[in-house]
Amino acid sequence: MLLESLKRGDTVLEARGITKRFPGVLANDRIDFEIKAGEVHAILGENGAGKTTLMNILFGLYQPDEGEIYLYGKKVNFRSPLDAIDMGIGMVHQNRKLIPAHTVIENIILGHPRAGNILNLKRTGKEITELCDRYGFKIDLKAKVWQLSEGEKQIVEILKALYRGAKILILDEPTSALAPPETKRLLESIRIMTRDELAIVPFITHKLPIVLEVSERVTVLRRGKVSARLETTGATEKSLAREMVGRDVIFRMERVEVEKGKPILQVENLSALNDKNVLALKDVSFSVQEGEIFGIAGVSGNGQQVLAEVLAGLRKAQGGKVLLDDANITHSPSLERWSKGIGYIPSERVDVGSIGDFSLVDNIAMNYYFDVDFTKGGIVNYKGLRKLTEEMISEYDVAAPSPDTMAKSLSGGNLQKLILARVLSRKPRLLIANLPTQGLDVGATEFVQNKLMEAKKEKAGILLISEDLDEVLSLSDRVAPMYEGEFMGIIPGGEARREIVGSMMAGLKPKVEEI
Amino acid sequence: MKLGSFEVKLEKRVSLPGWEATLISLLAILVALVVFSYIFVRAGVDPLTGYKEIFSYAFMSSFGLPLTINRFIFLLLCTYAFIIPIRAGLWNIGMAGQLYAGALSAFAVAFAFGAKTSQNAVLPPGLVIPLMIAAAILGGAVVGAIAGFLKGRFNTNEIVVTMMLNFITYWIVARLIKEGGLFMGASGEGDGFKIPESIYAPLVKNVPFTVFIALGLAMLLYFLFAKTKIGYQIKAYGKSPSAAKYAGISPYKIPLLVFIMGGLIAGLAGYHYFAAVPGVYKITKNYGDFGDLAFYGIICGLISQGDALAAIPIALLFGGLTNGGRFAQGKLKLGFGIDYALLGVLMITLVAFQFFYRYKIVVVRTKKETSDVGIHS
Repeated sequence: MLLESLKRGDTVLEARGITKRFPGVLANDRIDFEIKAGEVHAILGENGAGKTTLMNILFGLYQPDEGEIYLYGKKVNFRSPLDAIDMGIGMVHQNRKLIPAHTVIENIILGHPRAGNILNLKRTGKEITELCDRYGFKIDLKAKVWQLSEGEKQIVEILKALYRGAKILILDEPTSALAPPETKRLLESIRIMTRDELAIVPFITHKLPIVLEVSERVTVLRRGKVSARLETTGATEKSLAREMVGRDVIFRMERVEVEKGKPILQVENLSALNDKNVLALKDVSFSVQEGEIFGIAGVSGNGQQVLAEVLAGLRKAQGGKVLLDDANITHSPSLERWSKGIGYIPSERVDVGSIGDFSLVDNIAMNYYFDVDFTKGGIVNYKGLRKLTEEMISEYDVAAPSPDTMAKSLSGGNLQKLILARVLSRKPRLLIANLPTQGLDVGATEFVQNKLMEAKKEKAGILLISEDLDEVLSLSDRVAPMYEGEFMGIIPGGEARREIVGSMMAGLKPKVEEI
Repeated sequence: MKLGSFEVKLEKRVSLPGWEATLISLLAILVALVVFSYIFVRAGVDPLTGYKEIFSYAFMSSFGLPLTINRFIFLLLCTYAFIIPIRAGLWNIGMAGQLYAGALSAFAVAFAFGAKTSQNAVLPPGLVIPLMIAAAILGGAVVGAIAGFLKGRFNTNEIVVTMMLNFITYWIVARLIKEGGLFMGASGEGDGFKIPESIYAPLVKNVPFTVFIALGLAMLLYFLFAKTKIGYQIKAYGKSPSAAKYAGISPYKIPLLVFIMGGLIAGLAGYHYFAAVPGVYKITKNYGDFGDLAFYGIICGLISQGDALAAIPIALLFGGLTNGGRFAQGKLKLGFGIDYALLGVLMITLVAFQFFYRYKIVVVRTKKETSDVGIHS
């Protein structure tokens, strides 16, 4: 192949008129774009804009109904991802396709044609180390994958693709699970790769600033069509969002001042274990008042999830007390908490917050089947629930053909709207929102944040857990950066400076602790 | 695949209307019968004659029909014993053990009333029969509860537990009815004791009244899963235990509950076959065969996709075929095992046709201008 003779700016991949239909959906509608060597070309779009379909077509997982793909000027027909890999396309999945029990090096050479039956780990190790040095990846090749952070796992996937000889690297939501320093390092590596004439194609729904920072060109998809092709010089976060959503989007939520009432939730010296029986929540104390958003900022895995689950009654507390409206609920079952006015939006939208194989009505029933308004004498009033579901679908603008649609067919943003509608419709006194905007596109994020503000205005107390520093700072009245199961302090939201909170999230206590 | 200017494609189904599911099942049965014709032909029998013998004996003869109905009741109960746990995502492979326990408990009641010692004892049926049924339910439920409790409390694999309980109860029955066991019959040939005529289960037109229990359960289960809170909780747990926990559904109680419910229905099946079917009225020495027959409950449950009403025709079909197949085998002097072969072919075809529950074949006319890009053949 002519891979060696590629020059910067040569077209490596060209898609012409790509069209893909699914029952009832036109996922890709005559999409054209071209990708050049040595360039970062981002594909932008909201959830459901057809990005995933396009990505799967480029990687050979789907065949287009119409349209052609040209690779290095030649028409190609990928029958499977193997064809795509053989022709120099590498894919870094958002849901990592790695084997947790194997080491980094074993994962990298898995499926490599040169691996053969007898592994020459020494030689391979040397070659991979060279790749790491060249592109600035730091990773222990002998570590097991389950021990790695999300960022490190992503590095393994990138290395795997590069080691297979990828010249075009497709990155699915590359920065969504990364902590700020990891993001910075990844972007640095991407820059070095483009110097080696690799073409990088990140697919992105949110985190628009990163698009602007790293890409040269952007193709924006909206409802399956290309809505814009632009150079990033001259583009702004606002203009990109407008192309994606089709209207102006507010990026910074205005914090509404609401008069605070009495404390709803009081947490005293709370401790709990995680799934591995390690103390993951250590002696945390705080309170949430009526009309307040209390934000917890931190990189995932620092005990936020454990805290949310203990408060929702899904995990046992090891020590300490939880008071709701002055009543001790430390050991109450979750159902009792639901009826006492706690609402919980879990971070695992698909596995916990909804049931994919259930209709939307049955999903709404998850928070209503125990409610005397809907269940009398053990008989569930499905008719009433159906009406409620229809109301929620229209009020929250959930894109779904009917209340009988299976939840698994909803996009992430619509699913989150449905969960939000369900939880908020119970008018919770205390709302625990765990990563409520994670993975959502800008339009849906704005929607969710608006709803949280509305709940606040209605005097609910809100515990907002987020990895997105900007979100926590702009929404919260008070912010507690969390690190390794502890609060690093509690700071008033208005005074919180980005840098200080960022360093507290990394485990540094500020010199003057403000409470 | 392309055929001239047409293209045949597989498309994933978004939904499956009830009538289409029925049509697919009927088509599967038809295909199975056509496929099995080959075996008839090889055996030198005209397939039409073969099928006529099977079906006319199973569903139209005055000898065969009652036998078919008895098997149908038994299979339907076993199917329900499987369906309830499967709606919670749990596999009950222990209908055999649960029905043995049910039969033993029912006969223990008869034993307590002195049924073993006197064949002609006149016992009050209004008291003893309800007690026997209650005992059968209890016996099946207790054996079921063991698996449910272990699953809920310790997350033990329910398939292994129910399977092992089958062996345990099998040998308990053997210990009780054979070689001087407590329930041994007078003949000493390995059967259990026979209950006196006074406590034979009432017959309605020569059919045991248990048919009403089975059909009543069909309605009850349909209602349970379509309308009730408990049904909702079971389904939610079955689709996603973690989401069910979020919704406040106890991950301990649901496995216990569904295995108690499944076990008690299997216990009823045990009562039905050994204490209500005319001509039996004892735990027979070949009781293991009925344990084996109980496994058809799994097949019926899977084919009906957990739908209590859809299970009725399927259980009836299998009940008829096990019965008519054996008859035709004897009458037409076919080789041993032909009846099982027919059931096997039918099962495989029905399961294979479930492919069409998820996919459908569509034929599209390929447009001229795009005909060179389509899907690879």
